[in-house]
Amino acid sequence: MGRIAPEIVLTLLSMVVLTWDLVTKGRDSRQVGYLSLAGLAIVGYLLIDQWNGLRNAGISAEPTPVFAMMTIDTFGIFFKLFTVGSLAAVMLFVLSDKRERKHGVGEYYFLLLGAGIGIFFMVSTSNLLLLMLGLELLSLASYSLSGFHKSEKRSAEASLKYVIFGGLSAGIMLYGISLLYGLTGTIDLIEMGTGDGTSWPVGLAAQFAYNPAPVAIAIVLIFAGFAYKVSVVPFHFWTPDVYEGAPTPVTTFLAVASKAAGFAVLLRFVGLLFMAEGVDATVAAYGDRIGMLLAIMAAITMTLGNLSALRQASMKRMLAYSSIAHAGYVLMGLAVMTPEGFSAAMYYLGAYYLMNLGAFGFLLYFEGVTGSEEIDSLKGMGWKAPLVSIAMVAFLVSLTGLPPTVGFVGKYLLFVQGIEAGYGWLVIIAALNSVVSLFYYFRIAKALFLSEPAERSVAPQPILTGFLAILAVGTILFGIYTAPLQSWADSGTASLELVNSAK
Amino acid sequence: MAEFPLLSWITFIPLIGMALLLLVPKNNKTAIKAVSLVATAIPLVLATWLYFGLFDKTTADLQWKERVDWIPLMKIQYFIGIDGLSLSLVWLTTLLLFLAVPLSFSISKTPKAFFALLLLLEVGILGVFVSQDYFLFYVFWEIMLLPMYFLIGIWGGPRREYAAIKFFLYTLAGSVLMLVAVIALRIDTGSFSIPYMMDLAGQGLLTGANLPGGGELLGMEFGTWIFWFLFVGFAIKVPVFPFHTWLPDAHVQAPTSISVILAGILLKLGGYGMIRACFPLVPETFRENCSVLAILGVISIVYGAYVALGQTDFKRMVAYSSVSHMGYVLLGFAALTEWGYYGAATQMFNHGTSSAVMFMVVGVIYDRAHHRDLNGFGGIAQVMPRYWAMTTLCFFAAMGLPGLAGFISEALTLYGAFIADDPTFKIYVFISMMGLVLTAAFLLYAIQRVFLGDLNEKYKDYKDMSGREIFCQAPLLFLCVLLGVFPYLLLDWMEPSVVQLVEFLATQG
Repeated sequence: MGRIAPEIVLTLLSMVVLTWDLVTKGRDSRQVGYLSLAGLAIVGYLLIDQWNGLRNAGISAEPTPVFAMMTIDTFGIFFKLFTVGSLAAVMLFVLSDKRERKHGVGEYYFLLLGAGIGIFFMVSTSNLLLLMLGLELLSLASYSLSGFHKSEKRSAEASLKYVIFGGLSAGIMLYGISLLYGLTGTIDLIEMGTGDGTSWPVGLAAQFAYNPAPVAIAIVLIFAGFAYKVSVVPFHFWTPDVYEGAPTPVTTFLAVASKAAGFAVLLRFVGLLFMAEGVDATVAAYGDRIGMLLAIMAAITMTLGNLSALRQASMKRMLAYSSIAHAGYVLMGLAVMTPEGFSAAMYYLGAYYLMNLGAFGFLLYFEGVTGSEEIDSLKGMGWKAPLVSIAMVAFLVSLTGLPPTVGFVGKYLLFVQGIEAGYGWLVIIAALNSVVSLFYYFRIAKALFLSEPAERSVAPQPILTGFLAILAVGTILFGIYTAPLQSWADSGTASLELVNSAK
Repeated sequence: MAEFPLLSWITFIPLIGMALLLLVPKNNKTAIKAVSLVATAIPLVLATWLYFGLFDKTTADLQWKERVDWIPLMKIQYFIGIDGLSLSLVWLTTLLLFLAVPLSFSISKTPKAFFALLLLLEVGILGVFVSQDYFLFYVFWEIMLLPMYFLIGIWGGPRREYAAIKFFLYTLAGSVLMLVAVIALRIDTGSFSIPYMMDLAGQGLLTGANLPGGGELLGMEFGTWIFWFLFVGFAIKVPVFPFHTWLPDAHVQAPTSISVILAGILLKLGGYGMIRACFPLVPETFRENCSVLAILGVISIVYGAYVALGQTDFKRMVAYSSVSHMGYVLLGFAALTEWGYYGAATQMFNHGTSSAVMFMVVGVIYDRAHHRDLNGFGGIAQVMPRYWAMTTLCFFAAMGLPGLAGFISEALTLYGAFIADDPTFKIYVFISMMGLVLTAAFLLYAIQRVFLGDLNEKYKDYKDMSGREIFCQAPLLFLCVLLGVFPYLLLDWMEPSVVQLVEFLATQG
């Protein structure tokens, strides 16, 4: 039971938060926020403890599944820590956003924690049923969160759009899962990959030999579900509208935690099915085709995301498109179908965490000042709030992928893996894409500093400023001293026990 | 041998200066200027000491090497060192950055931010010149872009926003392609060390054999695409025709001191990058493409001069003259003779001094007249005789008048190209001679329009150059004369490195 202590604590915490909020209704809801943060700290501590324990034991210590369903491994813990970190940041955003106080903010924390529980389950299972349940829990919480400003039209619209898109793609994905189950006789990814067709469950190997078409259809349908979650083209249409309509802290959660969780399950799905140790050779041989499919999706996603971002006047929409483009970069790491590529993708997600939290935090800061999301409203603000604005320049540099920032190292690692795997064309597309992205990212820097100082005065927001400064320092520090994040990503990948498929 | 890390100090003292500058209150302008002056003066003193005292000019080996692991997981090292190719440019950098500080004293809009960015820029430039690890080289190469963007974008002319982002986009487009090539080289050789890559290339082992598909990319052979990706990255910086279109905008919009640094040093980074980190890695492909490079060089020479002749904006004219003058550098490289390389290397230095003064000259008249229309002046010589004298001297140096520095480098370049093995180079030399005539034409035409003729009444109260303005120009003009008479002050230091490089490029791989 100790191995799922973080999940238990998180669930209890969400219950306590809900009750507490009911009991103290009408009073200052910030207490609920502080309570949630304290609870998250405990969860974080438990996770780090587990992480260290697993790392010291080495991968030789085979993790036995809890309830024959949940695998507690470093890969899952990497993403759980990621989630806890994102949740804490989002709660900090809610706490420091004065405008959120009028919205009966107590449920905010409950819903966020609920989404967190969903992520915890989906990232630590190889069982497609539990994965689906976790995904749905996350989705349900996200739907309500994005419509949190009930009285605002665009928030309600965002929520509805999200529900419709989400419901549809969940259905598609579930259909794919049911096909796979029917074909292989199991809902466990490891059994699907390793089954050699001579005994029950038959696994994918036999089906690839006799029924390649249905298998391909099933896998593509499941990919569609994941692609929706991480907003990969052509399943990205909901992203700009939902990101724009949702309250900014929720947008941050969707762009950072929810997207990373989507990538976590995608990595595990692709890894266990096609690259894990013991996977049947027939199945592994299909890895190359899957890789090519992912590479094409990556190229289209990053290009379309960046080109669409060019024309946005609203910073929030621009960041939405930029997050689509970044999903394309991360996909590069998957497309190469090597453990090193997966590790690079995880590193990039770490980088993405720092720089995107920073960018959204900056957005929140200036929404509070100007009440607008337009890039033009930032004109000359750099001279009024220099610390935040300089931090933002660091995030922009990192998002573009210029040294000496964590975003550059992330891109560099992805490019290395891309070239080593023979995806030179994809690397060139990605490289040229960063030139395109420079143009729109630096529209923000231009508005901040290249215009005459603004008339408006800026009220200090010390908590948010401090948080952004820390993120900016992290963005640059991890770009110079890369070892920690790299070793975390490597340990995470190691627990999947992937091997290089024969090239 | 545990040597004193002199190069690191030279490179990072401006960064320390920048940190100190951030602590100074923004209204204390005297302290801001003082800190900036000291932070640029110390590297200059150290570099001078290095040039005349510590540097061993009898060897082509890297000197003052420092090598420690930086990111061991990726085998990236902090590996710096200096040889005859980079020494003179390091010194020029420290000199021009030092002169840029007093030149910018008149900046009124947040001088603190200006000088902080200027110091950061110096770190980036010096870092590129001393890096021997390609990753480090690339990091410094990119670090330069950000301060340059803001320096042009915040303190520039009316179209500064356009010019700043254009500069940034062009350079980044070149450098991302460079990054792809660098990664491929790293995977193939297993190291980022540029000397090590050169060694392998010399033995013909840098062939992309360790890459999937033998290193082919988009249907191009390994050597071919590596060469062109790197070359384009550097050529944009030089800038070589047809990659030069960012330059007139950036130069014209930038404030005077930034134009000086742009023309004086940033363009040299492109040329330096080619001989340090492009040609020696793929010598065979380089030899195959010499004619193409020479033709690009000749086009730059003639086209740049011709366009300069047609300009009415003083600063734009000077900007195009840079395109023309940097064309000689490329022609000299392509000739693949020792004389060509001496010529190109000295041309980089001499253009660094003469073009810097030319931009200062434009700055002097712009500060007074607040316009740069060549046709709007006239007779300035009557009210500003000192200004006239210094401008004429500088223009003559740029024109390549014997006895001045420009003559030496252009003559060496053309001679080097003339004796190249490939007979078609004689035609290139002949065409370049026309560029020389055009250069003389646009410079003399400019002098005539600005200084001679009847004095415009508007300008009769203009004061001659101030002490500060003379202080900024005099050292550079002195160098133009000195190196015209005693060119060995440059040549002796670079000789072993140039000899070794040319032999390597001509025979290895």
